[in-house]
Amino acid sequence: MVQISLRRVLQEAVAAPYRHLVTRATGAAVRGRIEAVLADADWTITLLDFSGVDCLDLSCADEIVAKLLLAAATRDRAVVLAGVREDQRDALEHVLVHHRLAVAALFAGTGVADVIGWTSGDAREAFTALRAHGPADAAVLAARLDWPHERAEAALEDLGRHRIARATGGVFHPVTLL
Amino acid sequence: MTRVVEVPTHFDDKSFDQFAGWFGAWPPEERVLVDARGCQWGSPYGLVGLLTAGQALAEAGKERPLLTVPAADDVRRYWARTGFFTHAAELFELHGKVPRSAATGPSDVLLDVTPIRASEDIHDIVGKIQEGAARILTGELGIEAKATMGFAMALSEACQNIVEHAGTSGWVAVQAYTFRRRLGRRVVVIAVSDAGVGFRRSLESTQAKRFGDRWGDATALEAALIQNVSRFRDPGRGQGLAGIKRYLSRWQGKISIRSGTARLAIVPPWDEDVPLVDHLPFFPGAQVQVVIPAQHAES
Repeated sequence: MVQISLRRVLQEAVAAPYRHLVTRATGAAVRGRIEAVLADADWTITLLDFSGVDCLDLSCADEIVAKLLLAAATRDRAVVLAGVREDQRDALEHVLVHHRLAVAALFAGTGVADVIGWTSGDAREAFTALRAHGPADAAVLAARLDWPHERAEAALEDLGRHRIARATGGVFHPVTLL
Repeated sequence: MTRVVEVPTHFDDKSFDQFAGWFGAWPPEERVLVDARGCQWGSPYGLVGLLTAGQALAEAGKERPLLTVPAADDVRRYWARTGFFTHAAELFELHGKVPRSAATGPSDVLLDVTPIRASEDIHDIVGKIQEGAARILTGELGIEAKATMGFAMALSEACQNIVEHAGTSGWVAVQAYTFRRRLGRRVVVIAVSDAGVGFRRSLESTQAKRFGDRWGDATALEAALIQNVSRFRDPGRGQGLAGIKRYLSRWQGKISIRSGTARLAIVPPWDEDVPLVDHLPFFPGAQVQVVIPAQHAES
């Protein structure tokens, strides 16, 4: 896993002590630096750490998170978020839904993990269950959540499609956060 | 010859069309004298619009316009406190007594009249607004604390329209005041204005064909504000205004955009504004106003 502090990359990218991820130009500059780091790294998961970032606007959420997710999808790699504040969720939710993307995120303060973006309530519930009780196939998840098999299968497929869980021999493992 | 442009007594988004009408065909041939002596109140929208007029005349190569400052002392002092005269002095030949007043302590002026020239300016603006916005939004407007972030986001996206699309610089101001006439509640108002190409020209190359004969300032605004289209091919574009609308829908807020000869608004239930007005007097660039009302009536 490659961990990237967005606060640090932001300050390097704009050469100023800014705490806000705002404007498309800033987002593009930050993403450019992250892509340069990832180009030289052997990675399957990239963790974007929002700790120390204050405001997040839609342009930066789009330029950084959405575009990195779109790029990761073409190489079957995963991007996850950490240190996300509840008040940053709106901007992330908005741009990810726009692109029909979803990402797993660990929230600051509470340590709660959740899925943000274009995904079903079932998929979110399945992700929480996988995190709490370990990897599962559709039959096991259905039993754990008292769901019909098809419902569990659809939720796991949703998580797999977004690379929030990875299937090995039919068993889905939630993506590692921290 | 001099063309006299009168600043309305109550200078806000409603009376702005009257102000724009005084300029006639744009740009006016004669030297312009902007007469603000009779002005009794200027909203942030009025003030940034006034600076935009000065900027547009300068960019059109016209002679430096004259500006007679408001006669009322309290109006002059308020305009000075917003930083208006500092910028106006660079664009107009000022006539009348200009106070040197500087704001001290907490104020209803959340953000002085501030130029937007580049992305860095927006970083500074968002940084400046955070503390005051939290105080006003949660303390006075009854909006939950986490909505402060959405406010900063809306401000950032509104300002970015200038950097991304206008082709020139612009102005922003943010203020809290009581909307007595229309609402009877406290509001926070973001006003953003530029002297740039406007929505029609910005979107023309990608959208005009789709609208055919209907293409104009009104349809350009409709494409941007209602359909969230952008001139860029990047599918991530066009989300800024959509995000502002989403934020405002939660708090019964209002957005209106004037560009060229049209104005389009998303009108909340508390306002009686007309959603779309076309064939207005021309005014350069684009003027955006965002209003967020208190969630409860004033006691």
